[in-house]
Amino acid sequence: MTGTYAKPGKYTQEGYLLCEKEINDKGGLLGRKVRFVVYDDKSEPPTAIKLYEKLITEDKVELVMGPYSSPVTNAASTVSEKYKKVMMASLAATTSIWERGFKYLFMTISPAEVYLEGLVDLAVERGLKTIAVINEDTLFSKAAAKGTIELAKKKGMQVVFHEAYPKGTTDFSALLIKIKALNPDVIAAGSYFDDAVATTRQMKELDVNPRMYGVTVGGDLPEFHQLLGKTAEYVYGSSQWEKGLPYPRIKEFVANYEKMWNREPVYHSAAAYGACQIYAEAIKRANSLESDKIREQLLKLKMTTAFGEYQVDERGFQVAHKMVLHQWQDGKKVTVWPSQVAEGKPLYPTPPWLRR
Amino acid sequence: MMTGVLGLLLAAVGGLAILPLFASGYLISFTIQVFMWMALAGSWNLISGFTGYVSFGHVAFFGIGAYTGGLLITKAGWHWLPAGLAGCLPAVALALVIGYPCLRLKGPYFAIAMLGLNEVVRALVSYFEGFTGGGSGVSLPPILSIVPVYYAMGGVAVAVTLLTYRIITSQFGLRLLSIREDEIAAEVMGINTALLKLYAFLLSAAFPGIVGGFYAWYASHIEPLSVFPLLTTITMIIMCLFGGQGTVLGPVLGAVLLSVFQELVWARFLFVHQAIFGALIVGVVLLMPRGILGVLQERYRLPRTI
Repeated sequence: MTGTYAKPGKYTQEGYLLCEKEINDKGGLLGRKVRFVVYDDKSEPPTAIKLYEKLITEDKVELVMGPYSSPVTNAASTVSEKYKKVMMASLAATTSIWERGFKYLFMTISPAEVYLEGLVDLAVERGLKTIAVINEDTLFSKAAAKGTIELAKKKGMQVVFHEAYPKGTTDFSALLIKIKALNPDVIAAGSYFDDAVATTRQMKELDVNPRMYGVTVGGDLPEFHQLLGKTAEYVYGSSQWEKGLPYPRIKEFVANYEKMWNREPVYHSAAAYGACQIYAEAIKRANSLESDKIREQLLKLKMTTAFGEYQVDERGFQVAHKMVLHQWQDGKKVTVWPSQVAEGKPLYPTPPWLRR
Repeated sequence: MMTGVLGLLLAAVGGLAILPLFASGYLISFTIQVFMWMALAGSWNLISGFTGYVSFGHVAFFGIGAYTGGLLITKAGWHWLPAGLAGCLPAVALALVIGYPCLRLKGPYFAIAMLGLNEVVRALVSYFEGFTGGGSGVSLPPILSIVPVYYAMGGVAVAVTLLTYRIITSQFGLRLLSIREDEIAAEVMGINTALLKLYAFLLSAAFPGIVGGFYAWYASHIEPLSVFPLLTTITMIIMCLFGGQGTVLGPVLGAVLLSVFQELVWARFLFVHQAIFGALIVGVVLLMPRGILGVLQERYRLPRTI
């Protein structure tokens, strides 16, 4: 597991291997042991193409699971589709991947477009009117920003600013100064970890004071608060999964995971684990390893794993899984949306930097 | 000796020509990527190996070719073969625009200018979002068989190698080498170095453009980050140095050996492969600065024309 996505890639692998162990402890699948063959795609799409060719034509695997990230899944799925192998894409959130008309590709996590639905919802509930959106200019972040803008407009908010920045940007002051001049109620960032940390830090330096501020990826990691300390307080972050959610067998999953890997699972671990469980269930129901039979089951399957709900439309696109929005409160991540699973109330409004 | 090498080469080409008949998809896919590296390292060799003008931005031609191919296929509905071949046009045009002023620069300036060029092209591709898809890139339809791409990519690799042979056995090649050894002396001898360098540079840009065009079809998704990485230029350079710069078979040898090596080492040592790879490079540069072929030519008196 090397390259840009080394870290989440490792969590994904751990989730798969825990699922493998649990299935084998219960006697395997269709009476046979399950064995995962794992390779390092170096976070590069062309390497992934070569490796999925290897998995399917040389290692002769019977089933394939998705890699980590949208760009890599985008490339890998062209291979699995060619060989008519069902791929459970456990960690790809970009809608456009499912707009290519593939028959054997199934989605596990919620799409990028709804990552900040909670932020918009909470803002509208509190009567906020204006929103500024920034995003990294890459596949996932762009889709996340676009989705946020559409949701905000639909709910009657006014999008006063939208701009993208290239991957690798470290200085956001020009963007933030423009936003400061517009003084929006809400700032939403379609971000990964590094840029999420940098924008938050620079918002404090430049004294940019929205009433609510949320990021897509990065805000959910413990490192976010470790690096930023008090600056991370009041920041909203989105997540596909949290360990405190009321899903079946979630406590068991967290405990087994900690036992096997000596650390807490994050949502990447849970998504990989959940995808593997869903796949296994579909295979059991199909009672066969034939792609078309598994596909048929996956299309009509509705189930809830430790990762949450699963149900797809005719494209294999996820429609049931729910995102959560949390807020950093006193060094803890508190789930504040949706209300059915919320652990606490959002601290609102966010006080200006000078009074924190 | 020469006939021995020739016989070996013909056998290799013959073997590769029928490989898709019996090989697995993985082996075909792997070989396509080796062909790609052969063509890229060979193209870099044409300008940098022959004239000593080190290009640090060669991937710009690959990337612009990939976008040309990708957009012609998706927006204009072209067949992938002409679309890929068309990748050479903007690459050569770009080389003309940048090469004319920049090849007059000496020392590290050309290297840096090329590095800058790659960043400029990448930024432009991201900026013209309506046309190029910006950071989301371009999605192409998935390909049903990679065998045609195998032959197309192999064809480019062979073409680059044949052209290198043609150059090295001609006056043009000798003159280019004289620029590498001593540019001022070459000028004094009445050689129009500016024009020669420009010709070599245009040839050197055309092939990465085509390779990029075919790559877009093969990978079926391109984005600025995946087709303009600095690492691609560095890999071209390393392969060329490893095999032997300024030779015909050096880039071929470098591409094959390093690809195979990476593939084997990566499979066995998941976590340390990059360190091993790096150490190998340092070792080669220190112990064999003229590359494998350079050493073979000295030790075994292999002809200079291979």
